[in-house]
Amino acid sequence: MRMGEGNAPAAVVLRRVLKSFGTGAPAVDTINLDIAPGELVTLLGPSGCGKTTTLRMIAGLEEPTAGSITIGDEDVTHLPAEKRDVTMVFQSYALFPHMNVFENVAYGLKVARRPRPEIAARVAEALDLVGLGAYADRSVDALSGGQQQRVALARALVMKPRVILFDEPLSNLDAKLRLRVRAEIRALQRRLGLTAVYVTHDQEEALAISDRVVVMKSGRIEQIGTPRDLYTRPATRFVADFIGSANILPGTWDGAQVFLDGIGFAHAQEDLAPGPVSVVLRPESLRPGPSGLPATVAAISFLGASTQVDLETAAGPVTALLPDAAAAGLETGQQTRLDIAGGGMHLLAGGEDAPQAAPT
Amino acid sequence: MHVQKTEAVMAEARITASPWSRLTAAPAWAGLSLLVWAVLPYTREGRRFLPLDYAYHAVAMGPGAHWLLAVAALAVLLLYLAGPALGLAPRRRGDLAFVTAGLGALIPAAGLLYAGVPFGWGAMLGILGMVVAAGAALSDGGRVRGDAFVGASILLMLLFVTLFITVPLVMVMRSAVWIDGTFTLVQFARTFASPLFLFVDNPYTEVAEGARVGMLGGIGAVLGLASGVRVSRRRTGLRRAGAVLLWLLGGAIAGWALGIMIWGRGALPSTLLVALIVAPSATMLGFVLALLGQRTQSRAVRGVLGVASVLPFITPPFVIGFSMIFLFGRRGLVTFDILGIPPAMNPIYGIVGVSFAQILGLAPVAYLIIRGSLNSLNPALEEAATTLGSSRWRVFRDITWPLVRPGIAASLLLASIESISDFGTPLVLGGDRNFLATEVFLALTGRYSQPEAAVYGVVLLSLVGLIFIGSRIMLGVKGFTTVTGKPASGAFLRLPKGLEAGLTALALVWFGLIAALYLAIFYGSFVRIWGINNTLTVQHYIDFWQQGWPTVWTTVKLSFYSAVPAMMIGGLIAYLVTRHRFYGRGYLEFGSLLSFATPGTVMGLAYILAFNDGALLMTGTSAIIVLALVFRNMPVAIRASISGLSQIDRSLEEASATLKAGSGITMVKVLAPLLIYPLLAGLIFAFVSAMTAVSQVIFLVGAGNNLATVLLLSWVEQGRLGRAAAMASVLILGLLALILLLLVVSRRVDARNRKKGKPA
Repeated sequence: MRMGEGNAPAAVVLRRVLKSFGTGAPAVDTINLDIAPGELVTLLGPSGCGKTTTLRMIAGLEEPTAGSITIGDEDVTHLPAEKRDVTMVFQSYALFPHMNVFENVAYGLKVARRPRPEIAARVAEALDLVGLGAYADRSVDALSGGQQQRVALARALVMKPRVILFDEPLSNLDAKLRLRVRAEIRALQRRLGLTAVYVTHDQEEALAISDRVVVMKSGRIEQIGTPRDLYTRPATRFVADFIGSANILPGTWDGAQVFLDGIGFAHAQEDLAPGPVSVVLRPESLRPGPSGLPATVAAISFLGASTQVDLETAAGPVTALLPDAAAAGLETGQQTRLDIAGGGMHLLAGGEDAPQAAPT
Repeated sequence: MHVQKTEAVMAEARITASPWSRLTAAPAWAGLSLLVWAVLPYTREGRRFLPLDYAYHAVAMGPGAHWLLAVAALAVLLLYLAGPALGLAPRRRGDLAFVTAGLGALIPAAGLLYAGVPFGWGAMLGILGMVVAAGAALSDGGRVRGDAFVGASILLMLLFVTLFITVPLVMVMRSAVWIDGTFTLVQFARTFASPLFLFVDNPYTEVAEGARVGMLGGIGAVLGLASGVRVSRRRTGLRRAGAVLLWLLGGAIAGWALGIMIWGRGALPSTLLVALIVAPSATMLGFVLALLGQRTQSRAVRGVLGVASVLPFITPPFVIGFSMIFLFGRRGLVTFDILGIPPAMNPIYGIVGVSFAQILGLAPVAYLIIRGSLNSLNPALEEAATTLGSSRWRVFRDITWPLVRPGIAASLLLASIESISDFGTPLVLGGDRNFLATEVFLALTGRYSQPEAAVYGVVLLSLVGLIFIGSRIMLGVKGFTTVTGKPASGAFLRLPKGLEAGLTALALVWFGLIAALYLAIFYGSFVRIWGINNTLTVQHYIDFWQQGWPTVWTTVKLSFYSAVPAMMIGGLIAYLVTRHRFYGRGYLEFGSLLSFATPGTVMGLAYILAFNDGALLMTGTSAIIVLALVFRNMPVAIRASISGLSQIDRSLEEASATLKAGSGITMVKVLAPLLIYPLLAGLIFAFVSAMTAVSQVIFLVGAGNNLATVLLLSWVEQGRLGRAAAMASVLILGLLALILLLLVVSRRVDARNRKKGKPA
């Protein structure tokens, strides 16, 4: 057993990992993934995209049909969960209802037959870490959802795992608590230098918490990148649509300018051949102005911090998110022009009917 | 290839840490087998398991290639301990160890079976140890998704179900067709021709039974023709003619069969007629009681139903029958003293009495099943129908009834199987009628014909099988587990006032009857001779204490010895089939269903046939009684555990696994504490059913280990009713106290859980 003192966080490598449950399309279809030590990587995608299956294969709760999984320098492909240096925080928390907080957190150490004083010290340390030092004797049923979540976190942390896994850990919390706990998880992970794999279907959560995000769809990886990469340079229509909100219009690219409805906009993008393209426009990068794409205001919704304006253009409907000052003069039915702020535009090869067209 | 290599290197790195760490489950169990082989006598002489006979060990080392056990055990040990030196990848090594250990268990076992020398402790434990080692190796080889504990449990459970359920039943079939060393159907022909089995035209009666049966067949044919013509209106030509012909034939067969049941004699028609009367009646009664129990506002009625529904479980199956003799017998309180029916005119012995006793005994079972399916109904459905303008009757017809039908079907299935399997009631109340379950017993113990008993056994098994298949095809019943469901919250519609009053009256009459029957037993235990000399006495209790109590105490011990493994094996099988996927999973489920549905006398016969001689010799020992009870009552524990397991979120076990606990530890530390109540219930019900079992053990008891119910039955047959009543009273009150204790404990657990609030 390698667990115990001073486990260095380990790299996780997935090579051509395939998982199929019986007949039908595989749940995870031949994916490759490299996770560096100390990195927090999020698996993001709609339900049924294979992200949880991937996580469970890293945990050892599912066995890959093909391919290999390496943690550190050890091939763990066929090792069951109890023989891996990996712990997991479950969506349902999976706290043992017949044990109190202390016993829940101490469970793994007891199974590993650590000496009693060491167990007491490490459990206390882990509970302090999640701010539940005073709750050791409580029954887990007597805790709030957020507190239960922290017990689950402490239970996973106390093992000093080489990799820690999170399976949608925040989905049972209310919106405000979710923001706070998510920041705490990220802070702890940074402070302890943990290698972490995090599964969520919430793209905002993924962007906020991750070093890198893996966007998955139908068992395959669509794109891997930093949150900023994914947002500003989505590789596919699906990613553009799934990360944040996007207007996707058909256009033409000549290497220096992109033409929307015949109107040229300066743009720089490498490795893209001239021809028909899909133009990804982020709503917050659009501004009404004297020049640009002719548009008619269709609807105006006041959102508080900003105003959402829906417009009709010759290239298709467009949504813009404007600071209140910029939206001040607009009225429904008004003719205007839309300008594109620098960096708010990204081009995808192929036009409207490109094969990667995203289903909604 | 590359993957395996790195795996081997890694494994090597891991196990160089400590030489002890190489002694994983598979080699450890192989080592234990070797030890057992070396120190315990390999075979035994005769029936005695104890004391250990070392002299015999030395003499009889010969049979069964026993040394292969030792060689295989050594080889497995070597495979693991020599470790990296052999250069085998762990998975290859696991496969190799599985084959080695498997052969090391199979060949010695086959050797002993072939030689016909009884297994001693050495052979038994040694071979079991090798099976465990093989199971552990199976998981090392990655052939089973799970650790050594899971692999070993799977192999052990497959072995047990085969050895103690499948093999005995196969022996029954073999014994029916394999007579004096040749395959023959002559015993079937002889039995089917026997008047004990089927007998229609009785020359000694004035009634022409054959003619009547033929007439009823004709009436059936006419009715069939009429319905066939009506039903097939939409079809034309040949297809219509075919359909009409089928209906005609069906009607004729139905009428003819009914005629044989009514006028014919013999075990087959009697058994079928009783089942045909009992199953619908008990189900109907159970259904109205369940409806009442769910919707009445009266606490008294609920309480009465609750008490009455546990009574059949704690009452030996024929006790209602013999208390009916007290009340309705030839000199019974009601029939003779009050109504003055002359003894010769009393219809109690025969179809009427048996059916009546079975209906009373099975109605509570039907009640529980249908109550379960009523409780899983969502009241919102009925409320929705009401808001859409349905009357109460309409709601019942359109919503409640269709949704409860699966429960009704399950109840019909269970009641008909129980009725056909019932052994005690026909023995006590059958009179001059024969019944299949009793014929098995009479053929073996009265006519000393083992093949004839086996033929009756095969007939019973086929009937049960047909009922199962029929219910699956016609009613879509998938088994008894379908009737469990989560109770929904909300209020059910009340029954119409008049209906509720009517049902309450019915329930009270029913309960009055049951109360009278039980009171008759208690009262009968205190009067000298029922109906003839009504002076009060405690003589029966003194007799019982002197002649019955030692047997009761033996029964308590054996029942307890059987209940604990029944619960453990049942819990383990439930865990395996709900939480793991493996080859043989369906077989485990089918095996437990088989042991549940097989009539008790047939199972008893099967054990006699399988364990009477040769290597598996066990008859005459207490061990065989305990084993029979273990595998008879295990399905109850399986069902209790399965419903308990389905309430436990699987992520708890996964969390335990990610915290480095193997499945054995997870079972002990996580599942067992959460399942404590279902396991306890399974334990107590296994104990209670063992205490009240008759049919499955009646062949297996001997002079030194008679069982309470068997003794009770023989007292009833000898006419020592007072003493029998005394023993029945003690048994019923004792078991009732046990059940009440269980209820109190479960209430307390529930209350504590409620105080704690809902689990996460």
